[in-house]
Amino acid sequence: MNGQLGPDEEAKVADLLRGNAEARTFLRAVAEQAVVVADVERLDQHKPQTAKVVTPAFRPWKWAVAAAAAFVLLSAFVIATTPPRHTAKVSAILGPCQYIAADGKVRDEVKVGTLLRVGDTIRTRSSSAWVKLDLNSGSLMTIAGRSRLRLLNVDGRRGFQLAYGNLWATVAKQAIVKPVSIQTPTATVETMAAQFDLEVHPSTSIVRVNDGFVNVERLADGQTADIAADHQAVISISRNQPFTAARQPEPVNEWNCSMLAGRGAVFAKILPQTADGRSRLGAVPLITAEKATIFVANFSVQSSSSPPVLIENGSRVRIRGTTRTEGPVYFGITTQRIKGVFFGKYTAKVEARALGQAGEPWQVEVPLSQFNPKSKQLPGSPAGMELTDIWIVSPEENAELEIHSVKFLPREVGQ
Amino acid sequence: MSQRDRVSAAAWLVVRNAHTAEDIFQNVALKAMTKGVQFESVGALMSWAFITARREGIDWLRRQKNAPICLDNTILELLEQEWADEAAAGDIRGQALRDCLEDLPAKSRDLLKRRYFDGHACEAVAEQLGVRLDAIYKRLSRLHQALKKCIEIKLEQPAS
Repeated sequence: MNGQLGPDEEAKVADLLRGNAEARTFLRAVAEQAVVVADVERLDQHKPQTAKVVTPAFRPWKWAVAAAAAFVLLSAFVIATTPPRHTAKVSAILGPCQYIAADGKVRDEVKVGTLLRVGDTIRTRSSSAWVKLDLNSGSLMTIAGRSRLRLLNVDGRRGFQLAYGNLWATVAKQAIVKPVSIQTPTATVETMAAQFDLEVHPSTSIVRVNDGFVNVERLADGQTADIAADHQAVISISRNQPFTAARQPEPVNEWNCSMLAGRGAVFAKILPQTADGRSRLGAVPLITAEKATIFVANFSVQSSSSPPVLIENGSRVRIRGTTRTEGPVYFGITTQRIKGVFFGKYTAKVEARALGQAGEPWQVEVPLSQFNPKSKQLPGSPAGMELTDIWIVSPEENAELEIHSVKFLPREVGQ
Repeated sequence: MSQRDRVSAAAWLVVRNAHTAEDIFQNVALKAMTKGVQFESVGALMSWAFITARREGIDWLRRQKNAPICLDNTILELLEQEWADEAAAGDIRGQALRDCLEDLPAKSRDLLKRRYFDGHACEAVAEQLGVRLDAIYKRLSRLHQALKKCIEIKLEQPAS
Protein backbone atom coordinates (compact mmCIF):
# COMPACT_ATOMS: atom_id res chain seq x y z
CA MET A 1 0.00 0.00 0.00
CA ASN A 2 2.96 2.34 0.26
CA GLY A 3 3.84 1.79 -3.36
CA GLN A 4 6.32 -1.05 -2.87
CA LEU A 5 4.06 -3.80 -4.20
CA GLY A 6 4.20 -4.93 -7.79
CA PRO A 7 1.01 -4.93 -9.92
CA ASP A 8 0.38 -8.65 -9.26
CA GLU A 9 0.79 -8.26 -5.51
CA GLU A 10 -1.39 -5.15 -5.56
CA ALA A 11 -4.12 -7.12 -7.34
CA LYS A 12 -3.81 -9.92 -4.75
CA VAL A 13 -4.19 -7.44 -1.88
CA ALA A 14 -7.20 -5.88 -3.61
CA ASP A 15 -8.81 -9.31 -4.10
CA LEU A 16 -8.12 -10.18 -0.46
CA LEU A 17 -9.73 -6.97 0.74
CA ARG A 18 -12.75 -7.44 -1.50
CA GLY A 19 -13.37 -11.01 -0.46
CA ASN A 20 -12.19 -11.26 3.12
CA ALA A 21 -14.14 -9.41 5.80
CA GLU A 22 -11.46 -10.18 8.42
CA ALA A 23 -8.78 -8.50 6.30
CA ARG A 24 -10.99 -5.44 5.97
CA THR A 25 -11.63 -5.41 9.72
CA PHE A 26 -7.87 -5.44 10.32
CA LEU A 27 -7.28 -2.64 7.82
CA ARG A 28 -10.02 -0.56 9.42
CA ALA A 29 -8.44 -1.21 12.82
CA VAL A 30 -5.07 0.05 11.52
CA ALA A 31 -6.72 3.19 10.11
CA GLU A 32 -8.59 3.83 13.34
CA GLN A 33 -5.43 3.33 15.39
CA ALA A 34 -3.47 5.69 13.13
CA VAL A 35 -5.90 8.57 13.55
CA VAL A 36 -6.49 7.97 17.25
CA VAL A 37 -2.72 7.76 17.96
CA ALA A 38 -2.29 11.11 16.23
CA ASP A 39 -5.26 12.55 18.10
CA VAL A 40 -3.97 11.38 21.48
CA GLU A 41 -0.46 12.70 20.73
CA ARG A 42 -1.91 16.00 19.56
CA LEU A 43 -3.78 16.39 22.82
CA ASP A 44 -0.72 15.35 24.84
CA GLN A 45 1.59 17.72 23.14
CA HIS A 46 -1.07 20.43 23.15
CA LYS A 47 0.74 22.42 20.55
CA PRO A 48 0.10 23.13 16.89
CA GLN A 49 2.12 21.28 14.30
CA THR A 50 5.17 23.07 13.15
CA ALA A 51 5.93 23.17 9.50
CA LYS A 52 9.07 21.32 8.61
CA VAL A 53 11.67 23.45 6.87
CA VAL A 54 13.99 21.48 4.68
CA THR A 55 17.28 23.22 4.08
CA PRO A 56 18.69 22.32 0.73
CA ALA A 57 22.14 20.79 1.02
CA PHE A 58 24.78 20.96 -1.69
CA ARG A 59 25.23 17.47 -3.14
CA PRO A 60 27.69 17.40 -6.04
CA TRP A 61 26.47 14.03 -7.32
CA LYS A 62 22.93 15.37 -7.56
CA TRP A 63 24.19 18.25 -9.70
CA ALA A 64 26.03 15.77 -11.88
CA VAL A 65 22.91 13.66 -12.31
CA ALA A 66 20.85 16.77 -13.02
CA ALA A 67 23.37 17.96 -15.59
CA ALA A 68 23.37 14.56 -17.28
CA ALA A 69 19.57 14.48 -17.32
CA ALA A 70 19.47 18.00 -18.74
CA PHE A 71 21.90 16.94 -21.48
CA VAL A 72 19.74 13.93 -22.36
CA LEU A 73 16.63 16.09 -22.40
CA LEU A 74 18.31 18.69 -24.54
CA SER A 75 19.50 16.03 -26.97
CA ALA A 76 16.02 14.56 -27.14
CA PHE A 77 14.61 18.01 -27.79
CA VAL A 78 17.06 18.69 -30.59
CA ILE A 79 16.42 15.31 -32.21
CA ALA A 80 12.67 15.59 -31.94
CA THR A 81 12.31 19.03 -33.42
CA THR A 82 8.91 18.18 -34.82
CA PRO A 83 6.10 17.05 -32.55
CA PRO A 84 4.57 13.59 -33.13
CA ARG A 85 1.85 13.31 -35.76
CA HIS A 86 -1.69 13.83 -34.65
CA THR A 87 -3.12 10.31 -34.46
CA ALA A 88 -5.23 8.26 -32.06
CA LYS A 89 -4.97 4.52 -31.64
CA VAL A 90 -7.90 2.39 -30.48
CA SER A 91 -6.62 0.70 -27.31
CA ALA A 92 -9.87 -0.87 -26.05
CA ILE A 93 -13.34 -1.26 -27.44
CA LEU A 94 -16.72 -2.65 -26.47
CA GLY A 95 -20.01 -2.78 -28.33
CA PRO A 96 -21.04 -1.58 -31.79
CA CYS A 97 -18.73 1.03 -33.30
CA GLN A 98 -18.13 2.45 -36.73
CA TYR A 99 -14.98 3.85 -38.32
CA ILE A 100 -15.28 6.35 -41.16
CA ALA A 101 -11.97 7.11 -42.85
CA ALA A 102 -11.13 10.58 -44.14
CA ASP A 103 -11.65 9.33 -47.70
CA GLY A 104 -15.19 8.21 -46.86
CA LYS A 105 -14.56 4.49 -46.48
CA VAL A 106 -16.76 3.00 -43.77
CA ARG A 107 -15.89 0.05 -41.55
CA ASP A 108 -18.51 -1.34 -39.20
CA GLU A 109 -16.04 -3.50 -37.33
CA VAL A 110 -13.36 -1.64 -35.47
CA LYS A 111 -10.51 -3.52 -33.84
CA VAL A 112 -8.03 -2.72 -31.10
CA GLY A 113 -4.96 -1.23 -32.78
CA THR A 114 -6.88 0.72 -35.45
CA LEU A 115 -5.04 3.99 -36.04
CA LEU A 116 -7.11 7.11 -36.60
CA ARG A 117 -5.51 9.96 -38.56
CA VAL A 118 -6.64 13.50 -39.28
CA GLY A 119 -10.04 13.41 -40.98
CA ASP A 120 -10.99 9.98 -39.62
CA THR A 121 -14.12 9.56 -37.52
CA ILE A 122 -15.11 7.03 -34.89
CA ARG A 123 -18.66 6.48 -33.70
CA THR A 124 -19.94 4.47 -30.79
CA ARG A 125 -23.39 3.37 -31.81
CA SER A 126 -25.32 2.24 -28.74
CA SER A 127 -25.76 3.16 -25.13
CA SER A 128 -23.63 0.23 -24.04
CA ALA A 129 -20.67 0.89 -26.37
CA TRP A 130 -17.35 2.62 -25.64
CA VAL A 131 -13.95 3.12 -27.21
CA LYS A 132 -10.68 4.08 -25.55
CA LEU A 133 -8.12 6.00 -27.61
CA ASP A 134 -4.40 6.46 -27.02
CA LEU A 135 -3.19 9.81 -28.35
CA ASN A 136 0.46 8.69 -28.76
CA SER A 137 1.70 11.15 -26.14
CA GLY A 138 0.58 9.60 -22.88
CA SER A 139 -2.83 11.19 -23.29
CA LEU A 140 -6.03 9.15 -23.33
CA MET A 141 -9.60 9.67 -24.42
CA THR A 142 -12.70 7.53 -24.02
CA ILE A 143 -15.95 8.06 -25.85
CA ALA A 144 -19.05 6.16 -24.77
CA GLY A 145 -22.75 5.79 -25.45
CA ARG A 146 -23.90 7.40 -28.69
CA SER A 147 -20.87 9.51 -29.52
CA ARG A 148 -19.08 10.72 -32.65
CA LEU A 149 -15.47 11.92 -32.61
CA ARG A 150 -13.40 13.13 -35.55
CA LEU A 151 -9.73 14.08 -35.73
CA LEU A 152 -9.35 17.59 -37.15
CA ASN A 153 -6.52 19.50 -38.74
CA VAL A 154 -6.21 22.57 -36.51
CA ASP A 155 -3.12 24.79 -36.68
CA GLY A 156 -0.83 24.25 -33.68
CA ARG A 157 -3.33 21.97 -31.99
CA ARG A 158 -4.32 18.33 -31.82
CA GLY A 159 -7.82 18.98 -33.07
CA PHE A 160 -10.96 16.93 -32.45
CA GLN A 161 -14.63 17.39 -33.13
CA LEU A 162 -17.10 15.81 -30.72
CA ALA A 163 -20.38 16.14 -32.63
CA TYR A 164 -22.41 14.55 -29.83
CA GLY A 165 -21.98 12.19 -26.91
CA ASN A 166 -19.71 11.74 -23.93
CA LEU A 167 -15.94 12.02 -23.77
CA TRP A 168 -13.49 11.59 -20.92
CA ALA A 169 -9.97 12.91 -21.52
CA THR A 170 -6.69 12.75 -19.67
CA VAL A 171 -4.30 15.09 -21.44
CA ALA A 172 -0.78 14.56 -20.16
CA LYS A 173 1.58 17.49 -20.04
CA GLN A 174 4.40 16.97 -22.52
CA ALA A 175 6.92 19.52 -23.65
CA ILE A 176 6.86 18.81 -27.36
CA VAL A 177 3.23 17.97 -28.00
CA LYS A 178 0.61 20.47 -29.01
CA PRO A 179 -2.42 21.35 -26.90
CA VAL A 180 -5.64 19.42 -27.40
CA SER A 181 -8.53 21.33 -28.92
CA ILE A 182 -12.03 19.86 -29.04
CA GLN A 183 -14.79 21.48 -31.06
CA THR A 184 -18.42 20.86 -30.15
CA PRO A 185 -21.56 22.39 -31.69
CA THR A 186 -21.46 25.13 -29.05
CA ALA A 187 -17.87 25.45 -27.81
CA THR A 188 -14.18 25.03 -28.34
CA VAL A 189 -12.44 23.35 -25.42
CA GLU A 190 -8.65 23.57 -25.22
CA THR A 191 -6.07 22.33 -22.77
CA MET A 192 -2.36 21.65 -22.38
CA ALA A 193 -2.82 19.27 -19.46
CA ALA A 194 -6.00 18.31 -17.69
CA GLN A 195 -8.35 15.53 -16.75
CA PHE A 196 -11.87 16.45 -17.74
CA ASP A 197 -15.10 15.12 -19.16
CA LEU A 198 -17.37 16.54 -21.78
CA GLU A 199 -21.04 15.86 -22.54
CA VAL A 200 -22.21 17.25 -25.86
CA HIS A 201 -25.71 17.78 -27.26
CA PRO A 202 -26.81 19.88 -30.25
CA SER A 203 -27.50 22.99 -28.18
CA THR A 204 -25.43 22.45 -25.04
CA SER A 205 -21.99 21.26 -23.99
CA ILE A 206 -21.11 20.52 -20.37
CA VAL A 207 -17.45 20.45 -19.40
CA ARG A 208 -16.30 19.27 -15.99
CA VAL A 209 -12.64 19.62 -14.99
CA ASN A 210 -11.13 17.39 -12.31
CA ASP A 211 -7.45 18.17 -12.68
CA GLY A 212 -5.46 20.91 -14.42
CA PHE A 213 -7.45 23.51 -16.30
CA VAL A 214 -9.11 23.99 -19.67
CA ASN A 215 -9.97 27.06 -21.66
CA VAL A 216 -13.45 27.21 -23.16
CA GLU A 217 -14.75 29.51 -25.86
CA ARG A 218 -18.49 29.87 -26.35
CA LEU A 219 -19.11 29.88 -30.08
CA ALA A 220 -22.30 31.93 -29.79
CA ASP A 221 -20.46 35.10 -28.77
CA GLY A 222 -16.73 34.31 -28.53
CA GLN A 223 -16.69 34.65 -24.74
CA THR A 224 -13.93 32.62 -23.09
CA ALA A 225 -13.47 31.21 -19.61
CA ASP A 226 -10.77 29.21 -17.85
CA ILE A 227 -12.23 26.24 -16.04
CA ALA A 228 -9.98 25.14 -13.18
CA ALA A 229 -9.93 21.79 -11.37
CA ASP A 230 -13.13 21.02 -9.45
CA HIS A 231 -15.12 23.40 -11.64
CA GLN A 232 -17.58 22.96 -14.47
CA ALA A 233 -19.37 25.05 -17.08
CA VAL A 234 -22.43 24.73 -19.28
CA ILE A 235 -21.92 26.21 -22.73
CA SER A 236 -25.23 26.88 -24.41
CA ILE A 237 -25.93 27.79 -27.99
CA SER A 238 -27.88 30.77 -26.66
CA ARG A 239 -26.11 33.97 -25.63
CA ASN A 240 -28.85 34.59 -23.07
CA GLN A 241 -27.78 31.64 -20.97
CA PRO A 242 -25.12 32.32 -18.30
CA PHE A 243 -21.59 31.19 -19.12
CA THR A 244 -19.38 31.00 -16.05
CA ALA A 245 -17.22 28.43 -14.35
CA ALA A 246 -18.94 27.15 -11.23
CA ARG A 247 -17.59 24.91 -8.53
CA GLN A 248 -18.68 21.28 -8.94
CA PRO A 249 -21.48 20.60 -6.46
CA GLU A 250 -21.09 18.11 -3.64
CA PRO A 251 -22.20 14.62 -4.62
CA VAL A 252 -25.47 13.01 -3.60
CA ASN A 253 -26.52 9.38 -3.51
CA GLU A 254 -29.88 9.61 -5.26
CA TRP A 255 -31.27 11.04 -8.47
CA ASN A 256 -34.71 11.70 -9.79
CA CYS A 257 -34.49 12.45 -13.49
CA SER A 258 -36.68 15.47 -14.04
CA MET A 259 -38.47 14.29 -17.16
CA LEU A 260 -40.95 17.13 -17.26
CA ALA A 261 -38.10 19.59 -17.62
CA GLY A 262 -36.93 17.35 -20.43
CA ARG A 263 -33.23 18.12 -20.03
CA GLY A 264 -32.24 14.85 -18.39
CA ALA A 265 -33.74 12.80 -21.20
CA VAL A 266 -30.98 13.14 -23.75
CA PHE A 267 -32.19 10.46 -26.14
CA ALA A 268 -35.96 9.93 -26.23
CA LYS A 269 -38.99 11.45 -27.89
CA ILE A 270 -41.52 13.45 -25.93
CA LEU A 271 -45.02 11.97 -26.13
CA PRO A 272 -48.31 13.70 -25.21
CA GLN A 273 -49.07 13.56 -21.51
CA THR A 274 -51.50 10.97 -20.17
CA ALA A 275 -55.01 12.00 -19.11
CA ASP A 276 -53.84 12.29 -15.50
CA GLY A 277 -51.01 14.66 -16.52
CA ARG A 278 -48.17 12.16 -16.37
CA SER A 279 -45.25 12.92 -18.66
CA ARG A 280 -44.24 10.21 -21.15
CA LEU A 281 -41.13 9.61 -23.19
CA GLY A 282 -40.86 7.15 -26.01
CA ALA A 283 -37.83 5.04 -26.84
CA VAL A 284 -36.05 6.00 -30.05
CA PRO A 285 -34.89 3.48 -32.67
CA LEU A 286 -31.17 3.04 -33.03
CA ILE A 287 -29.42 0.97 -35.69
CA THR A 288 -26.43 -0.61 -33.98
CA ALA A 289 -25.28 -2.75 -36.88
CA GLU A 290 -26.65 -4.14 -40.12
CA LYS A 291 -30.17 -5.51 -39.49
CA ALA A 292 -29.94 -4.73 -35.79
CA THR A 293 -32.29 -2.09 -34.44
CA ILE A 294 -32.94 -1.45 -30.77
CA PHE A 295 -35.23 1.03 -29.06
CA VAL A 296 -33.55 3.19 -26.46
CA ALA A 297 -34.32 5.95 -23.98
CA ASN A 298 -31.29 7.53 -22.34
CA PHE A 299 -31.18 9.78 -19.26
CA SER A 300 -28.12 11.80 -18.25
CA VAL A 301 -27.24 12.91 -14.71
CA GLN A 302 -25.26 15.95 -15.80
CA SER A 303 -27.80 17.17 -18.33
CA SER A 304 -30.51 17.09 -15.68
CA SER A 305 -28.47 19.65 -13.66
CA SER A 306 -28.11 17.16 -10.81
CA PRO A 307 -25.04 17.13 -8.58
CA PRO A 308 -22.78 14.09 -9.14
CA VAL A 309 -24.53 10.89 -8.04
CA LEU A 310 -22.50 8.33 -6.09
CA ILE A 311 -23.23 4.63 -6.44
CA GLU A 312 -23.34 2.67 -3.18
CA ASN A 313 -23.76 -0.98 -2.37
CA GLY A 314 -27.52 -1.28 -2.11
CA SER A 315 -28.33 1.53 -4.58
CA ARG A 316 -31.39 0.80 -6.72
CA VAL A 317 -32.68 1.82 -10.15
CA ARG A 318 -36.45 2.32 -10.27
CA ILE A 319 -38.14 2.80 -13.64
CA ARG A 320 -41.82 3.26 -14.46
CA GLY A 321 -43.08 2.68 -18.00
CA THR A 322 -45.17 0.64 -20.35
CA THR A 323 -44.56 -1.94 -23.08
CA ARG A 324 -47.18 -3.16 -25.55
CA THR A 325 -45.83 -6.69 -25.98
CA GLU A 326 -44.62 -9.33 -23.56
CA GLY A 327 -40.86 -9.31 -23.83
CA PRO A 328 -37.83 -8.37 -21.75
CA VAL A 329 -36.35 -4.90 -21.40
CA TYR A 330 -32.81 -4.03 -20.37
CA PHE A 331 -31.68 -1.39 -17.90
CA GLY A 332 -28.16 -0.03 -18.17
CA ILE A 333 -25.95 2.35 -16.24
CA THR A 334 -22.75 4.13 -17.24
CA THR A 335 -20.22 4.78 -14.49
CA GLN A 336 -17.10 6.85 -14.05
CA ARG A 337 -14.57 7.14 -11.28
CA ILE A 338 -15.26 9.81 -8.68
CA LYS A 339 -13.86 12.99 -10.20
CA GLY A 340 -12.14 10.83 -12.73
CA VAL A 341 -12.24 8.91 -15.94
CA PHE A 342 -14.74 6.56 -17.54
CA PHE A 343 -15.10 3.34 -15.53
CA GLY A 344 -17.53 1.04 -17.33
CA LYS A 345 -21.04 -0.01 -18.15
CA TYR A 346 -23.38 -2.39 -16.32
CA THR A 347 -26.68 -3.87 -17.49
CA ALA A 348 -29.57 -5.83 -16.01
CA LYS A 349 -32.17 -7.85 -17.89
CA VAL A 350 -35.77 -7.39 -16.74
CA GLU A 351 -37.80 -10.44 -17.72
CA ALA A 352 -41.28 -10.03 -19.25
CA ARG A 353 -42.95 -11.56 -16.17
CA ALA A 354 -41.61 -8.72 -14.00
CA LEU A 355 -43.38 -6.20 -16.26
CA GLY A 356 -46.85 -7.66 -15.76
CA GLN A 357 -49.54 -7.57 -18.42
CA ALA A 358 -48.62 -6.01 -21.74
CA GLY A 359 -49.98 -2.49 -22.15
CA GLU A 360 -50.35 -1.92 -18.41
CA PRO A 361 -47.97 0.52 -16.64
CA TRP A 362 -45.20 -1.21 -14.74
CA GLN A 363 -42.76 -0.11 -12.07
CA VAL A 364 -39.56 -2.12 -11.73
CA GLU A 365 -36.89 -1.66 -9.12
CA VAL A 366 -33.55 -3.33 -9.84
CA PRO A 367 -30.94 -3.44 -7.07
CA LEU A 368 -27.33 -2.74 -7.95
CA SER A 369 -26.44 -6.36 -7.21
CA GLN A 370 -28.46 -7.46 -10.26
CA PHE A 371 -26.46 -5.34 -12.69
CA ASN A 372 -23.73 -7.21 -14.54
CA PRO A 373 -20.51 -5.70 -15.89
CA LYS A 374 -20.35 -5.38 -19.68
CA SER A 375 -16.69 -6.37 -19.79
CA LYS A 376 -14.61 -8.99 -18.02
CA GLN A 377 -12.14 -6.41 -16.72
CA LEU A 378 -14.75 -4.71 -14.55
CA PRO A 379 -15.42 -5.69 -10.94
CA GLY A 380 -18.78 -7.27 -10.22
CA SER A 381 -20.18 -4.11 -8.70
CA PRO A 382 -19.74 -0.43 -9.60
CA ALA A 383 -20.24 0.63 -5.96
CA GLY A 384 -17.98 3.54 -5.14
CA MET A 385 -18.22 4.99 -8.65
CA GLU A 386 -20.20 7.91 -10.02
CA LEU A 387 -23.34 7.50 -12.13
CA THR A 388 -23.16 9.09 -15.59
CA ASP A 389 -26.40 7.96 -17.17
CA ILE A 390 -29.20 5.40 -17.14
CA TRP A 391 -30.66 3.85 -20.25
CA ILE A 392 -33.53 1.51 -21.00
CA VAL A 393 -33.59 -0.70 -24.08
CA SER A 394 -36.20 -2.83 -25.76
CA PRO A 395 -35.14 -5.00 -28.70
CA GLU A 396 -38.70 -5.03 -30.10
CA GLU A 397 -40.33 -2.25 -32.09
CA ASN A 398 -43.83 -3.53 -31.30
CA ALA A 399 -43.12 -3.10 -27.60
CA GLU A 400 -43.48 0.69 -28.06
CA LEU A 401 -41.42 1.22 -24.94
CA GLU A 402 -42.51 4.30 -22.97
CA ILE A 403 -40.81 5.68 -19.88
CA HIS A 404 -42.73 7.59 -17.21
CA SER A 405 -40.19 7.93 -14.42
CA VAL A 406 -36.48 7.27 -13.81
CA LYS A 407 -35.05 7.21 -10.30
CA PHE A 408 -31.75 6.19 -8.77
CA LEU A 409 -32.33 5.45 -5.11
CA PRO A 410 -29.89 5.15 -2.19
CA ARG A 411 -29.56 1.97 -0.16
CA GLU A 412 -32.36 1.50 2.27
CA VAL A 413 -31.62 2.56 5.85
CA GLY A 414 -30.41 -0.42 7.83
CA GLN A 415 -29.55 -2.38 4.69
CA MET B 1 -15.47 4.60 17.60
CA SER B 2 -16.94 8.08 17.38
CA GLN B 3 -18.31 9.23 14.03
CA ARG B 4 -15.38 11.61 13.90
CA ASP B 5 -12.86 8.78 14.32
CA ARG B 6 -14.59 6.76 11.61
CA VAL B 7 -14.66 9.57 9.05
CA SER B 8 -11.04 10.48 9.88
CA ALA B 9 -10.00 6.83 9.59
CA ALA B 10 -11.77 6.54 6.23
CA ALA B 11 -9.91 9.65 5.06
CA TRP B 12 -6.62 8.20 6.40
CA LEU B 13 -7.11 5.13 4.22
CA VAL B 14 -7.02 7.46 1.22
CA VAL B 15 -4.27 9.91 2.23
CA ARG B 16 -2.25 7.81 4.80
CA ASN B 17 -1.51 10.93 6.82
CA ALA B 18 -3.24 11.41 10.16
CA HIS B 19 -3.03 15.22 10.17
CA THR B 20 -4.42 15.51 6.67
CA ALA B 21 -7.16 13.04 7.62
CA GLU B 22 -8.06 15.28 10.57
CA ASP B 23 -8.11 18.34 8.27
CA ILE B 24 -10.41 16.48 5.91
CA PHE B 25 -12.74 15.56 8.76
CA GLN B 26 -12.86 19.25 9.79
CA ASN B 27 -13.71 20.28 6.22
CA VAL B 28 -16.42 17.64 5.99
CA ALA B 29 -17.92 18.78 9.30
CA LEU B 30 -17.87 22.38 8.11
CA LYS B 31 -19.56 21.44 4.85
CA ALA B 32 -22.21 19.45 6.70
CA MET B 33 -23.04 22.51 8.78
CA THR B 34 -23.01 25.00 5.92
CA LYS B 35 -24.45 22.80 3.19
CA GLY B 36 -28.02 23.87 3.87
CA VAL B 37 -29.32 20.36 3.27
CA GLN B 38 -30.99 18.27 5.93
CA PHE B 39 -30.23 14.59 6.17
CA GLU B 40 -33.09 12.18 6.73
CA SER B 41 -31.12 10.05 9.16
CA VAL B 42 -27.73 9.65 10.79
CA GLY B 43 -27.10 6.89 8.23
CA ALA B 44 -27.65 9.31 5.35
CA LEU B 45 -25.36 11.89 6.98
CA MET B 46 -22.62 9.31 7.51
CA SER B 47 -22.95 8.06 3.96
CA TRP B 48 -22.56 11.62 2.67
CA ALA B 49 -19.65 12.28 5.07
CA PHE B 50 -17.70 9.21 3.87
CA ILE B 51 -18.22 10.15 0.21
CA THR B 52 -17.20 13.76 0.81
CA ALA B 53 -14.14 12.70 2.82
CA ARG B 54 -13.09 10.33 0.04
CA ARG B 55 -13.42 13.08 -2.59
CA GLU B 56 -11.40 15.50 -0.45
CA GLY B 57 -8.79 12.78 0.03
CA ILE B 58 -8.55 12.16 -3.71
CA ASP B 59 -8.18 15.91 -4.29
CA TRP B 60 -5.36 16.04 -1.75
CA LEU B 61 -3.62 13.06 -3.33
CA ARG B 62 -3.70 14.76 -6.70
CA ARG B 63 -1.86 17.73 -5.27
CA GLN B 64 0.96 15.56 -3.88
CA LYS B 65 4.06 14.65 -5.82
CA ASN B 66 4.75 11.34 -4.07
CA ALA B 67 1.23 10.32 -3.20
CA PRO B 68 0.57 6.84 -1.79
CA ILE B 69 -1.29 4.34 -3.95
CA CYS B 70 -5.00 4.89 -3.44
CA LEU B 71 -7.12 1.84 -2.72
CA ASP B 72 -9.70 0.98 -5.34
CA ASN B 73 -13.00 2.82 -4.87
CA THR B 74 -14.92 -0.45 -4.63
CA ILE B 75 -12.80 -1.46 -1.62
CA LEU B 76 -13.12 1.95 0.03
CA GLU B 77 -16.87 1.72 -0.45
CA LEU B 78 -16.95 -1.68 1.30
CA LEU B 79 -14.86 -0.41 4.22
CA GLU B 80 -17.03 2.71 4.57
CA GLN B 81 -20.19 0.64 4.54
CA GLU B 82 -18.83 -1.54 7.35
CA TRP B 83 -18.00 1.57 9.35
CA ALA B 84 -21.50 2.93 8.70
CA ASP B 85 -23.04 -0.36 9.86
CA GLU B 86 -20.95 -0.26 13.03
CA ALA B 87 -22.08 3.30 13.67
CA ALA B 88 -25.71 2.20 13.33
CA ALA B 89 -25.04 -0.56 15.89
CA GLY B 90 -23.81 2.04 18.41
CA ASP B 91 -20.23 0.82 18.56
CA ILE B 92 -18.14 2.33 21.38
CA ARG B 93 -14.61 1.21 20.54
CA GLY B 94 -13.17 4.72 20.42
CA GLN B 95 -12.76 5.15 24.14
CA ALA B 96 -11.54 1.57 24.48
CA LEU B 97 -8.81 2.27 21.93
CA ARG B 98 -7.77 5.41 23.77
CA ASP B 99 -7.61 3.46 27.05
CA CYS B 100 -5.52 0.75 25.38
CA LEU B 101 -3.09 3.35 24.05
CA GLU B 102 -2.67 4.71 27.59
CA ASP B 103 -1.71 1.23 28.78
CA LEU B 104 0.98 0.73 26.15
CA PRO B 105 4.66 0.70 27.16
CA ALA B 106 6.45 3.96 26.36
CA LYS B 107 8.60 2.29 23.69
CA SER B 108 5.58 0.99 21.81
CA ARG B 109 3.77 4.30 22.01
CA ASP B 110 6.89 6.06 20.77
CA LEU B 111 6.93 3.79 17.72
CA LEU B 112 3.27 4.54 16.96
CA LYS B 113 3.92 8.25 17.45
CA ARG B 114 6.84 8.26 15.01
CA ARG B 115 4.86 6.34 12.42
CA TYR B 116 1.43 8.00 12.64
CA PHE B 117 1.79 11.33 14.42
CA ASP B 118 5.15 12.37 12.98
CA GLY B 119 4.12 10.67 9.75
CA HIS B 120 7.48 9.02 9.08
CA ALA B 121 7.66 6.12 6.64
CA CYS B 122 8.71 2.76 8.10
CA GLU B 123 12.12 3.11 6.45
CA ALA B 124 12.71 6.43 8.23
CA VAL B 125 11.53 5.02 11.57
CA ALA B 126 13.90 2.06 11.17
CA GLU B 127 16.77 4.46 10.51
CA GLN B 128 15.89 6.66 13.48
CA LEU B 129 15.74 3.69 15.84
CA GLY B 130 18.74 1.93 14.31
CA VAL B 131 16.88 -1.30 13.61
CA ARG B 132 16.10 -3.27 10.49
CA LEU B 133 13.09 -2.38 8.38
CA ASP B 134 11.43 -5.79 8.72
CA ALA B 135 11.73 -5.48 12.51
CA ILE B 136 9.70 -2.26 12.34
CA TYR B 137 7.06 -3.90 10.16
CA LYS B 138 6.83 -6.83 12.62
CA ARG B 139 6.65 -4.54 15.67
CA LEU B 140 3.93 -2.40 14.10
CA SER B 141 1.95 -5.43 13.01
CA ARG B 142 2.17 -6.92 16.53
CA LEU B 143 1.14 -3.58 18.02
CA HIS B 144 -1.91 -3.30 15.77
CA GLN B 145 -2.97 -6.83 16.65
CA ALA B 146 -2.36 -6.19 20.37
CA LEU B 147 -4.45 -3.02 20.30
CA LYS B 148 -7.24 -4.80 18.44
CA LYS B 149 -7.18 -7.60 21.03
CA CYS B 150 -7.03 -5.10 23.92
CA ILE B 151 -10.14 -3.31 22.58
CA GLU B 152 -12.02 -6.60 22.29
CA ILE B 153 -11.12 -7.49 25.91
CA LYS B 154 -12.15 -4.07 27.19
CA LEU B 155 -15.46 -4.27 25.35
CA GLU B 156 -16.17 -7.72 26.79
CA GLN B 157 -15.70 -6.42 30.34
CA PRO B 158 -18.94 -5.28 31.99
CA ALA B 159 -19.18 -1.48 32.33
CA SER B 160 -18.20 -0.42 35.85
